[in-house]
Amino acid sequence: MSEHNHNTKSNDPAPAFTPALRKQIEGFLTRYETKRSAILPALHAIQDELGWIADEHVEILDKEFGLHRVQVREALTFYSAYRQKKPRQFNIQFCNNIVCCMLGANDVIGKIKGHIKKFEEKGKESPFSVEGVPCMCVCDGAPAMLVNKDRHLNVTKENIDSILEKYASLKSGV
Amino acid sequence: MSETVTFKLNGKDVTVPKGTTVMEAARRENVDIPHFCWHPGLSVAGVCRFCMVKVEGRPKLEIACNLQATNGMDVKTDTDEAKSAHKWALEFHLINHPLDCPICDQAGECGLQDYYMSVGKYQSQMTRPKVLKPKMLDVGRDLVLDTERCILCSRCVRFEEEVTKTGALGIFDRGDRAIIGTYPGEKIEHNYQTNLVDICPVGAFTSRDFRFKQRVWFLKDKPAVCPGCSTGCSVDVYGKPETRSYFRLKPRKGEANGHWMCDKGRHMYSHLNQDVRLRTALTTDAQGRRKDTNFAGAIEDLGKRIAAVNPATDVALLVSAQHTSEEYKSLFDFFVGELGIKKVFQWREPTEKIDAFDGLLYRGDHNANTRGLLNALKEAGLAANLKNEFDAAASSAAKVVIAITPEVPTTFPSFEQQLEHLRELDFVSFWTLAGSVADNKKTKHAIPMKGFPEKKGTFINHEGKAGKLDSPFPCPVADGRDLTEIVAALKQWRHSHGSR
Amino acid sequence: MGDTLTKVKITTAFEGKPNARALKTYVDNGGYAGLKKAFTMQPGQIIDEVKAAGLRGRGGAGFPTGMKWSFVPKDDKGPKYIICNNDESEPGTFKDRYIVECNPHMILEGMIIAGFAIGANKGYIYTRYDFFEEIKWLETAIREAYDAGFLGDNILGTGFKFDIDHYAGAGAYICGEETGLLSSLEGKKGQPKLKPPFPAISGYLHRPTIVNNTETLAAVPWIINHGAAAHKTMGTEKSPGTKLFCLSGRVKRPGVYELPLGYPIEKLINEDAGGMLPGYTIKACIPGGSSAPILTAEELKGLTLDYEAITAKGSMLGSGAIMIIDDSMSMVELLKVTVDFYHHESCGQCTPCREGTGWLANIMTGIMAGEGKKEDLQRMFEISRNMEGKTICALSDAAAMPTKSIVTKFGAEIADFIERGKRA
Repeated sequence: MSEHNHNTKSNDPAPAFTPALRKQIEGFLTRYETKRSAILPALHAIQDELGWIADEHVEILDKEFGLHRVQVREALTFYSAYRQKKPRQFNIQFCNNIVCCMLGANDVIGKIKGHIKKFEEKGKESPFSVEGVPCMCVCDGAPAMLVNKDRHLNVTKENIDSILEKYASLKSGV
Repeated sequence: MSETVTFKLNGKDVTVPKGTTVMEAARRENVDIPHFCWHPGLSVAGVCRFCMVKVEGRPKLEIACNLQATNGMDVKTDTDEAKSAHKWALEFHLINHPLDCPICDQAGECGLQDYYMSVGKYQSQMTRPKVLKPKMLDVGRDLVLDTERCILCSRCVRFEEEVTKTGALGIFDRGDRAIIGTYPGEKIEHNYQTNLVDICPVGAFTSRDFRFKQRVWFLKDKPAVCPGCSTGCSVDVYGKPETRSYFRLKPRKGEANGHWMCDKGRHMYSHLNQDVRLRTALTTDAQGRRKDTNFAGAIEDLGKRIAAVNPATDVALLVSAQHTSEEYKSLFDFFVGELGIKKVFQWREPTEKIDAFDGLLYRGDHNANTRGLLNALKEAGLAANLKNEFDAAASSAAKVVIAITPEVPTTFPSFEQQLEHLRELDFVSFWTLAGSVADNKKTKHAIPMKGFPEKKGTFINHEGKAGKLDSPFPCPVADGRDLTEIVAALKQWRHSHGSR
Repeated sequence: MGDTLTKVKITTAFEGKPNARALKTYVDNGGYAGLKKAFTMQPGQIIDEVKAAGLRGRGGAGFPTGMKWSFVPKDDKGPKYIICNNDESEPGTFKDRYIVECNPHMILEGMIIAGFAIGANKGYIYTRYDFFEEIKWLETAIREAYDAGFLGDNILGTGFKFDIDHYAGAGAYICGEETGLLSSLEGKKGQPKLKPPFPAISGYLHRPTIVNNTETLAAVPWIINHGAAAHKTMGTEKSPGTKLFCLSGRVKRPGVYELPLGYPIEKLINEDAGGMLPGYTIKACIPGGSSAPILTAEELKGLTLDYEAITAKGSMLGSGAIMIIDDSMSMVELLKVTVDFYHHESCGQCTPCREGTGWLANIMTGIMAGEGKKEDLQRMFEISRNMEGKTICALSDAAAMPTKSIVTKFGAEIADFIERGKRA
């Protein structure tokens, strides 16, 4: 179902921690009853700030922030939210659970994949990537998807193109 | 004294201390409840879901490992429901297991195999392709990890967390993609890693040292005490009597060591195999020609040399602390009591840090019986302290020196250097296991000895507790003798030759 | 027996109000009155009131809330915790998200009251990470509550101290299980903890902890405010009060409906939701989230929405997620999606679940690829049966129950697919 692959690692260079990110992580270390609770928020912060989480980042969490690397890696690989490779500009998480599936999610996913393929055929990298994800719990708006952090409801074969176009036009501005 | 509870186990009343789990109680009663993740030396994980038992009056089966026995509880391990649960639990464990028993070292002592015979014996319903995972991973000096064979019982992870407190292992990813491992590129470094091989109920962790050496069903194990340091861990020595060879040591539950032993101790078999042992006695004739001899020949030579001097002044004894208390007693009874020798010295390692301790088991005194030796010296009326060392022997101007070497040369970094030193003396009789002693042309006299698994006796550990050696293997070296036997032979020789 | 037809809005009371989420809107409409009343009561009385109200856990298990609270050791003076399980993730469910959208203060008020009742001074709201907007609303509400003195060291001058922090999950269905959530909150993998001990005795960081679903906590202020008796006038005797039902599928008006428990399901579908979209008929219904055994269209006749009635039909009310499966849906696909989901989400610690969910998914992959075998149906049933009741948490059962019901009730359709797949 999900194409989330935790073992796929990136060859991209790991982006460096910004001072703001460091400060944020330091805040997590003392915010909860135990330091270990900072692992999930720290990984979220890294991903939000840098796009993905590299092994080097885990090692920094260990060496500089005292979060045990084995424990960090356990969390990193257990939870599907965390990415271990650099994402494309727009990562689409498309729900393909029961209701979305019934209402045509797989057709829309197919269409998005076709869109991505068109770029690749031209030898270019699409700004989009797509993965099927478990129920997003907005089933009254099925089929549903997230483009990065934007939620889209009632996504169909008919309206997907215009949604993608809107994002693609943002690309040059970023 | 402490509170007890009485419950029924398969219809029999069983009384145990309050707080005892059904699993623990069943073990006391020799009732086998199949299990993988439970281990007496680790916390309860309750994840393999194998140890299902029926508790009368409860709707679902319960896991015995997390079930405290209470008064009046009626537990059955062999109802049809429980038996079916055991069979299915095993099937679930095996559907993604590679079933590569023919090339797996664990075969013969594998939980999956054993339980298949005792609670399984089903026709597998798994007809789909299996989940594939990384194999042959190098995760430590003595560890080879096959994550495909792993059943994710988490014993190894708990060992790392709870026993060595190193936390080097984790379970990464989730569901049936979950994989045991170290942090990428890192290895387990500590001195207790082979315990992971022992506690792994399947062939996921195998020992690099033992790998592909021998099928376990050809091995015979006998209880012994590890000679590697003054902790005196209870161990089982695994040997193959037909070929008079040794393969490994494993911990046996004991007061000194609980369930574990260290990796240094694991190697306390490698000095016992014939390739490194002194296999024949050695003497040197009047013309200075070295020749191999038998035990009687070596005794005769030594007997003559002692008879030719005044033992009280001309014989010195250099004794290491790796032999049994019984041996020391016969040694001193004869040499000190009968011959009246005064020059008794200890062979200690100059670099030893005798009080060092790693917090778990391994101690800086790499002798199994320092306490036993000191006790024996004291009883013989001799100086019983650790200061009375080897250099004194060298300068004691003795005409005959008997050097009883440490049994395990590897625990003495200065072993070879000390031998060099001794060979400079006029006449030294080496009583030893080490073949390297006779390799040097300057060695004039040597008698092969038995190793710790080949004799009976006692080691007194660092806290004064006795560890017993009492089920000897046959000695791989025909002429190998323990100290008591050598002394008895010398005594016999002297009697029959009229000297006292 | 209470009223099972009249609709009263409790947890969705702020639905559609202008500025619904603002503290001012909440307070102007009687918000935090329940808390003020709670402070005039003894903690034990609060627990008794919730017990008497018959409030049952709205997350899925339906465990009596007051009873859960009463398990917390009263003489334990150390830290205790109230956790709001806002990790809505049961497929088909979207009600907790809706409560946050309507008014998050109701959740905070419920948590503070619960904290006062069990003697806890700290609470966490644990939300699935991808409720990005909803998390912001919750964090805003928490800030507002601190500023207004509803949270902090000396709440409303009573000397009672209570703090609430927010914690985001990271994409794991299992964290909706209360002890999986606690492991996650501790920064670990979200693997459920072995029970006993139960969280009320030893939960977050081995301290007494109550984990309640968002909807459960949101119902607490109303109960304290209006009393247990008023609560019992709604719903059935054993399932009092209102419940949020998440209706999805090809009905005209899918959405969240707050209804008294015991409400007829056909009335909900045909009247409240306006019936099916033209051209579609009901093939089946999953009444309580994807873990609930499936019901045929026939089985919906006369069915009422309460714990007992749905249990009597062999399914469960669960989280109140009612997925209407119409005739466009292949049951092979439904089963595939269902087993794939549990395979993806099994945490992997218990063998029957880890291996069983994988095995079921593996068989379905084969069936979809035309490699199905006639005996697969029976095999899936057997595997499921042996996954049930064998594990630390209920995820294994959650995978097994729908599988068993689908292969039983729609076996012919799947068998036909297998047969056709082979020929193709």
